[in-house]
Amino acid sequence: MLRNFSYAALFAVLTPAAFAEDFKWAVTTDPQTLDPHAVNSAPVLGFLNNVYEGLVRRGQDMAIEPALATSWEAIGAGEGWRFNLRQGVTFQNGAAFTAQDVLFSYERASSEAADTRSWFAPVSGVVVVDDYTVDIMTTSPNPIFPDSIANWMIMDSDWAQSNDAGRPDKEAGNHATLNTNGTGAFAITNREPGLRTVLEPHNNWWGDATHNITRAELTPIQNPATALAALLSGDVDFINPVPVQDVARLQNDPNVNVIQGIEARVIMLGFPHEAEALKYSSETTDANPFADARVRRAVAHAVNVPAILQTTMRGNAQAVNQLVSPAMRGYSDVLGGNAAFDQDAARALLAEAGYADGFSFGLKCPNNRYLNDEAVCQAITAMLAQVGMRATLDAMPVQNYWPELRADNYDMYLLGWSPGTFDAEHPVRFLAATPNEEKKLGSWNFGGYSNDRVDALLPMIQSEIDETKRQAMLDEVAQTLQDETAYVPLYVQPLVWGTRSNIELVQRPDNFFILRWVTVN
Amino acid sequence: MAELPVKAAEQSRLRVFLDSDVFYMFRKSPVAVVSTIVFATLVLAAVFAPLIAPTNPFDPASLNLMNGFTGPMAPNAFTGESFLLGTDDQGRDVFSTILYGMRVSLFVGVAAVLLAMVLGITLGLISGYVGGWTETIIMRTADVQLTFPSILVAMLIFGVAKGITPVEYRDQMAIWVLILAIGLSDWVQFARVVRGATMVEKRKEYVEAARLIGRTPYAIMLRHILPNVLSPVLVIATISLALAIIAEATLSFLGVGAPATQPSLGTLIRIGQGFLFSGEWWILLFPAVTLLTLALSVNLLGDWLRDALNPRLR
Amino acid sequence: MLAFIIRRVLQSILVLLIVGLTAFSMFRFVGDPIDNMLGQERTAADIERLREQLGLDQGFPVQYYKFLTEAAHGNFGVSYRQGRPVAEILLERAPATLELAAVSGILAIAFGIAFGVFTAIRRNGVLANVIMSASLIGVSLPTFLIGILLIYIFSVELGWLPSFGRGETVQIGNWSTGLLTASGLKALVLPSITLGLYQMTLIMRLVRSEMLEVLRQDYIRFARARGLRDRVINFRHALKNTMVPVITVIGLQVGAIIAFAIITETVFQWPGVGLLFINAVQFVDIPVMAAYLMLISVMFVGINLIVDILYFFIDPRLRVDRAGGH
Repeated sequence: MLRNFSYAALFAVLTPAAFAEDFKWAVTTDPQTLDPHAVNSAPVLGFLNNVYEGLVRRGQDMAIEPALATSWEAIGAGEGWRFNLRQGVTFQNGAAFTAQDVLFSYERASSEAADTRSWFAPVSGVVVVDDYTVDIMTTSPNPIFPDSIANWMIMDSDWAQSNDAGRPDKEAGNHATLNTNGTGAFAITNREPGLRTVLEPHNNWWGDATHNITRAELTPIQNPATALAALLSGDVDFINPVPVQDVARLQNDPNVNVIQGIEARVIMLGFPHEAEALKYSSETTDANPFADARVRRAVAHAVNVPAILQTTMRGNAQAVNQLVSPAMRGYSDVLGGNAAFDQDAARALLAEAGYADGFSFGLKCPNNRYLNDEAVCQAITAMLAQVGMRATLDAMPVQNYWPELRADNYDMYLLGWSPGTFDAEHPVRFLAATPNEEKKLGSWNFGGYSNDRVDALLPMIQSEIDETKRQAMLDEVAQTLQDETAYVPLYVQPLVWGTRSNIELVQRPDNFFILRWVTVN
Repeated sequence: MAELPVKAAEQSRLRVFLDSDVFYMFRKSPVAVVSTIVFATLVLAAVFAPLIAPTNPFDPASLNLMNGFTGPMAPNAFTGESFLLGTDDQGRDVFSTILYGMRVSLFVGVAAVLLAMVLGITLGLISGYVGGWTETIIMRTADVQLTFPSILVAMLIFGVAKGITPVEYRDQMAIWVLILAIGLSDWVQFARVVRGATMVEKRKEYVEAARLIGRTPYAIMLRHILPNVLSPVLVIATISLALAIIAEATLSFLGVGAPATQPSLGTLIRIGQGFLFSGEWWILLFPAVTLLTLALSVNLLGDWLRDALNPRLR
Repeated sequence: MLAFIIRRVLQSILVLLIVGLTAFSMFRFVGDPIDNMLGQERTAADIERLREQLGLDQGFPVQYYKFLTEAAHGNFGVSYRQGRPVAEILLERAPATLELAAVSGILAIAFGIAFGVFTAIRRNGVLANVIMSASLIGVSLPTFLIGILLIYIFSVELGWLPSFGRGETVQIGNWSTGLLTASGLKALVLPSITLGLYQMTLIMRLVRSEMLEVLRQDYIRFARARGLRDRVINFRHALKNTMVPVITVIGLQVGAIIAFAIITETVFQWPGVGLLFINAVQFVDIPVMAAYLMLISVMFVGINLIVDILYFFIDPRLRVDRAGGH
């Protein structure tokens, strides 16, 4: 047995081509942990979706579908939700999945040490009814609750506790940081952080495997040029993302396919609504022009979004008039278009606001967070300069960027927002609500935008069960934000994936890469 | 060489130079002549960039994003405008950007070398002349810095300087921080050579004599010792200039260099390498060739100077 | 003699502490790890709590002191990003960097000496001049650009060599080596050329100038006059005598190779300590950055110390000069 194994290993080393369904892919950032409750970030959750599963999951069109729960229904008049669990499911170590694991995973994911705690803010308790039935009680009616837990992954309670990983530990790490035991379609067989992660199919998976992969390997490659070269030379089968400027070349290469889509992330400009004065102006040191809605509207008129889409994004992005993309639930269809590119209108608005000669200010921008972020900011700097708003651009790595924004060191900033719940309520809660530490509202509303009507509508939106009434309120919020130009939404970031031409896969709008939808031809 | 001093008094300094061995060797070396001409042309082009360049790439209001990615000598599909070396991702004329970028690169390079030179010569003279604990401290620091890679030193200085600069000045500071970072990581070569030469010179009789007639150590160091160590300093300075220009490019590649709105050659290469695979080769190629030409001409000149100023190699 | 060594060791320790302090003070300006560690839905309270847990709320002298006392016990802390002991990560990554550095170092020395000798002997030859000029092109281009161009030509256009990584590796004890598999060797080619090119030109020029110097010496002329064959003179006598300064410089260049490995490893996604460091900077993983810089400075100061002590034994003149401090 042992000898057989070593022969097999030797064989693997000498002839890697023997695995016809070997699949290799490269991403920019390595998932920083394998613990599904330790960090709430897209690279981690997206990757772990292949290994762990939730009660519900999202399908190819982002719709919620059954996973570890086969069905669910609201309890009474909105006291909570009852989930009926799938029977006969086993974890990758062979243990059976029961309601106890759901209860444990709730306690683990909502614990003080967990980064996923905020998902469970509406939950008042979890009740195990029997081995395959669980009630999740909410403090108030919560129509979107099943939608909000697609990334809440279920962990085996015995495995976690016997390995001292009963609670996540994102600082020091524990057994679950490097090891996994999920119910998902793939199990991790080798993990070398920052170098490679190897996955193999979970043979006792409850679902029908639609993929034909026998072994998959993830490699983080940070330098986009290196990643692209690896794809072109066939060293990897799939890369995410493809730099937008290279799309045209890849489309002409018969060995490579480009898969494009619209991501959930909206790129926008933010303003210091609350500030007394500009921080980086050489002459306007005692006033804050951006507190005036006319100036903010002038910004919207001055930015030539079609030119950015055409040149910087090479036609791969889509303009947007609100804080969420059309793929999201609660997107406002009735909202009119954004302020069109019109330099004269911008100048007129500036003159009306008392800045006929323009003013100088500081624009902050990340340079390693969003697609072509620095190039977009440079282009915006040029466009604003043409109507008299003379920006000094300060582009910095994202690790310096958030602390600067939190310290209010900006006169205007670039922000990208992707709603974790895929619902239009999400950006209202985080970006438009008046910042309130106690209620955990407006925590990314750096500029302190505040509107009483928006604040009043938010709790009503959160608990409204009637879809039509809820949409009407979301429409009203979107209209208010547009009328006041609280932010200037620019475009929805594109998703650009590159594969070798023998690979078939499905691109999900949340940029999650799902291994079980891959076919190697 | 022997008859020169006799006539020197009645000749202008220029004459002395033109008749010197060094200049004779210079004329006889095609490499030296060509690299000098190339270097001088590039420096002049950089200095007079505002007069030569068709556009001012540092003025954001003059840019049209729709001009972006125009190929060399081919009209843009939307605006119909045409550019000698094409445009970059922002619609900036590559030719003008290179001229302005070369200014930044040369300014950073020359200023950094000057800083390193002044610092190195001063510390070298002092440690060679004074000796004792002063020398130990200076030369130990130099030893450590020599083994500590210059790029890391520069990154350290860049990080610290960026942190202590007030936020509102950071943008203007970037260039000066670059100069400081490269200059401070480069002074050791100068200090070592000057110290060595000083230790030899100070034992010579003319220094003894100067000391006896009551010259101050300051005057002795500047008037008597310094002129005698200038030729190795000149060689090091030339080679350091090329290294400083490359170091600036490398720092820009690592993202701690000149800002993208006021790019140096290094920043232009960093931007251009993103378009290497997408077919817009001119955004990378022209700045890279310019950098290569600049550094190569300086290196060739330094190489020749080293041989020419070393009498034993003639 | 013993006093000299003790004093030098003490000086080195002092230098280490200062380098460490400077490096540590840099971390305040690299950025803030908090936002990387918390997700999009974090609150101000989460930020405060994590900051306190990591000890980031204390002043940096306190953080530095804590780091030093822990490091003295062999504990470099736990990586913020990977949640694993830093020492373990560094040991895991070290073989990749050391193999790359060794291969490019050997390439640089072998070709450097060969070209150096050649260009010195054929001082006025056409080929020698071509090599000299070509070598200048090598030092006139930034390392990262050379790497990218090599990838473009040999991986993308020609498809001969892999564009990133180490290829297949074989685990021998704690050491993972890429030297025993075909793909591992292929993967080494481009990065080691990129890394070794600059050192090669440096060694080549040094050998050339030392060689020219030695060839003018009286004993060489004398040997020639005695009718010894050129090859014997060039290699047995001349080359041997140029080796002392060359070996010194090579010793000092070890540090430079490790440092420039940062850039090469970034371009080729080579999984060594340099890439680890750049990633750590990107994610403000302070324990990893601190340990790396300490490790590097210990190494450099160590090399320096050894070189100094060697000098002390080799060259008796230095004893008066250096040990006396004057």
